[in-house]
Amino acid sequence: MSLKAVREQLTEEGRTYAPHEAVLEASRCLMCEDPPCNAGCPAGVDVRRFIRKVRFGNFRGAARLVRDANILVGICGRVCPQEMLCMENCTRAALDGPVDIAGLQRFVGDAELADIAPLPEIAERKGRVAVVGAGPGGLAAAAELRRAGVAVDVFDSSDVSGGVLTRGIPPFRLDPAFAEGELRYVERLGAAFHHGEEVGDPVELLDSGFDAVFVSTGLWRPYRIGLEGEELKGVMLAGEFLARVAGGDPADVGRTVVVIGGGNVAMDAASTALRLGAERVYVCSLESRDEMPAFPSEIEVAQREGLEFRTRTRPVRIVGRDGSVSGYEGVGIRWKAPGALVPSNAEDLPGTEFSLAADCVIEAIGQGVHDRFESLELRENGLVRVDEETLATSVEGVFAGGDVVSGGGTAVQAVADGKRAAESILAYIEGIHDDEDDGEKGGERR
Amino acid sequence: MKKSLSVDFCGVRFPNPFVLAAAPPTDSAEMIARGFDAGWGGAVVKTLGLEQVEVNLVSPMMAGLKYEDKNLIGLENIDLISDRDIREVLPEVRDLKNRYPDQVLIVSMMAGTEDEWKEIARRVEDAGADMIECSFSCPHGMPERGMGSAVGQDADLTYERAGWVVEAVDIPVLIKLTPNVTDMRPIAQKVKEAGAAGVTAINTVKALLGFDLDTFAPLPSVWGKSTAGGYSGPAVKPIALRFIADVAKDVEIPVAGVGGVVTWKDAVEFLLAGAGIVQVCTAVMRYGYDIIEELTEGLALYLEDKGLDSLAELVGKGLPNIVSHEDLTREHTVVASVDEDLCIGCGACVIACRDGGHQAIEFRGAGGDAEGLAPENSEGGSGTAVDEASTDRERATLAPPERIPVVDDEKCIGCGFCRTVCPVDGCLTMQKREEAPA
Repeated sequence: MSLKAVREQLTEEGRTYAPHEAVLEASRCLMCEDPPCNAGCPAGVDVRRFIRKVRFGNFRGAARLVRDANILVGICGRVCPQEMLCMENCTRAALDGPVDIAGLQRFVGDAELADIAPLPEIAERKGRVAVVGAGPGGLAAAAELRRAGVAVDVFDSSDVSGGVLTRGIPPFRLDPAFAEGELRYVERLGAAFHHGEEVGDPVELLDSGFDAVFVSTGLWRPYRIGLEGEELKGVMLAGEFLARVAGGDPADVGRTVVVIGGGNVAMDAASTALRLGAERVYVCSLESRDEMPAFPSEIEVAQREGLEFRTRTRPVRIVGRDGSVSGYEGVGIRWKAPGALVPSNAEDLPGTEFSLAADCVIEAIGQGVHDRFESLELRENGLVRVDEETLATSVEGVFAGGDVVSGGGTAVQAVADGKRAAESILAYIEGIHDDEDDGEKGGERR
Repeated sequence: MKKSLSVDFCGVRFPNPFVLAAAPPTDSAEMIARGFDAGWGGAVVKTLGLEQVEVNLVSPMMAGLKYEDKNLIGLENIDLISDRDIREVLPEVRDLKNRYPDQVLIVSMMAGTEDEWKEIARRVEDAGADMIECSFSCPHGMPERGMGSAVGQDADLTYERAGWVVEAVDIPVLIKLTPNVTDMRPIAQKVKEAGAAGVTAINTVKALLGFDLDTFAPLPSVWGKSTAGGYSGPAVKPIALRFIADVAKDVEIPVAGVGGVVTWKDAVEFLLAGAGIVQVCTAVMRYGYDIIEELTEGLALYLEDKGLDSLAELVGKGLPNIVSHEDLTREHTVVASVDEDLCIGCGACVIACRDGGHQAIEFRGAGGDAEGLAPENSEGGSGTAVDEASTDRERATLAPPERIPVVDDEKCIGCGFCRTVCPVDGCLTMQKREEAPA
């Protein structure tokens, strides 16, 4: 496959509504009393109101309304699993199918792009906050804090903002250039960005003068299965595989690809492999179709695209020839006890062994937290422990949200966390600056 | 067997009641022939003036009213009468009549003086037209010259001019009237007294379509300027029905109905209001002559469904039911009623009643009546049993129980506005209010 062909394959799919199409779709909205769609949006977007604005031709007003609630306007229009959120609740579903809220939000994101969107008048106030991680959660928090007039510094070890949006989601689902453009809105709000700066222990930021820290670093430590043959050439980790694709430097996957895993990342990796020219792509998951953690819509798309599923199977070994992958062996399993969908609960079914020819094996069994938050109290699974209401960690002044707390959720859930954390942080720093004004020293609060 | 749609109107036999109105679709023999080939029962040739009359067209001359996705709710035009030379058109009329002896050919005309009216009428008759239609009703361009609606708005002028034409020819004469009057009946009465065979109602409604928001030019913008024009299309249908019914009921003169007909259902309504034939223009311009197929087929099936033998049985059938406001009953009243099985829980009726009515409808809310409440989601799994259960569940809970609207019978005055906003057919109805126990 030529580079040009690959590039075309990876170009963002679907298209944004033309204005008249958007009005037509928006006019399907029943403009419900107490609209259930609104309740489905973790970021608190007033769906009914933005759709009404589209319906009556107020496109820029719609863009502003959505952006105020969720800086990921066009991004969430593309990547949100709306069928599980706002659209799941759409009253019109009972009539003739839900309103395409996703498509309308995508339209609205283009109706007034982030780089020309008007900025709110910001009344600067006391307070300096460090945000660690420029993914959806961190950026949402940064935006809220800047709007409230607090100084914000955003640190990210990567050289681009967006986290999983620009380095994990395949470009045919979300154009990384669009995502970066939309996210620059946070820079326009006045947040200072420190790309390529690895933050050690977030607590140290408190010592260097920040009033509070928001940690939203995501999950970037890939799990490995520990299979025989894992060292062979052609074995990849999904995260790295997708990051290379996003960076415009896709790996060669050969003709037959085996993806191990049943989550969204596995689906993305498999769909991407297909676009890179693989003729057969197998998805081998421990879970059955219904048990897979991937969104139903992603599984559906993957199936339509022709991915072949080997569900309720466990990897046995990767077979090699001359140091490169040549095949994959697995075996069917059943759960020893219901409920726990983990390898330790799987029991091989004798006689269900299978082997597949393969040029490439991609492991997509999940990611964990980088284990560098030594001073933060963690949960057993390594995720950061927070107060569910305030998202405060065990260390005063440090808050956390997004995947680093949830263990893997949607971008819009991370946005919701970022907004909630920002609220807590604002209350927190208001408290300490009040104390300062009362003549107390702020440095010993820890 | 397919019902015959043929109908007699003013002594002329029409193969079906659908007639192309005087407008661009009837501006040449070639066009009319295509219309007849498609199945139209008749055509009114676009309005002719005498050869010495100057017709100065402007462009553009049309603009459509857009509403959400619908781009032609209404059409405004500032077109004029045909700019073709009557000496070219009349031979075409003769030729058309020879080629289509069964279809009815009506020629629309407009003139100024008595001599002119009589001359043009005789020439039309000589050309072999079955009927004449006199435009006393064009709302733009002509009134300034003492023609068009300037005539149709004045009962005496109408009487005089209608009389000239009736006197000049033997074929039936229709007078096309303008809706730009408060009451058409006195004018139609004069048409009747002048001896005309019938009236055509309505011509276009004088209107200003809109403005270009960037240039402030009214629409259709003729180099930045415009003028009020004639409005047609679905938007004017209710106005047309009212005028047709007024004339048919109180003047008792045959009416060729026109104004906003698109579907066979519209046509049935026109017949019920008293129209003997139905003219169509805007819908033909938009969808083409072929829509005659939907009109005739739909109407024939309707006759079949209703067990009617002829169209004549429908004409004016709705008129006895149109009474004055004071004659409407106060004995029975209605109250809004929600079919909980059909309701999808949108709450459009709640908003409508709260902000546009009498605050009589509210969601039942969480604490409400638990009847019809869905069973809790059962364990996942697959298989027929579960599928059936989920179907049952869906049936019971199209709307979440707390989102079922509840009508407060005391507050409901039965205005019926809620019914107009409900998106589900038959879900919100107005039911006869049970008499309060004595």
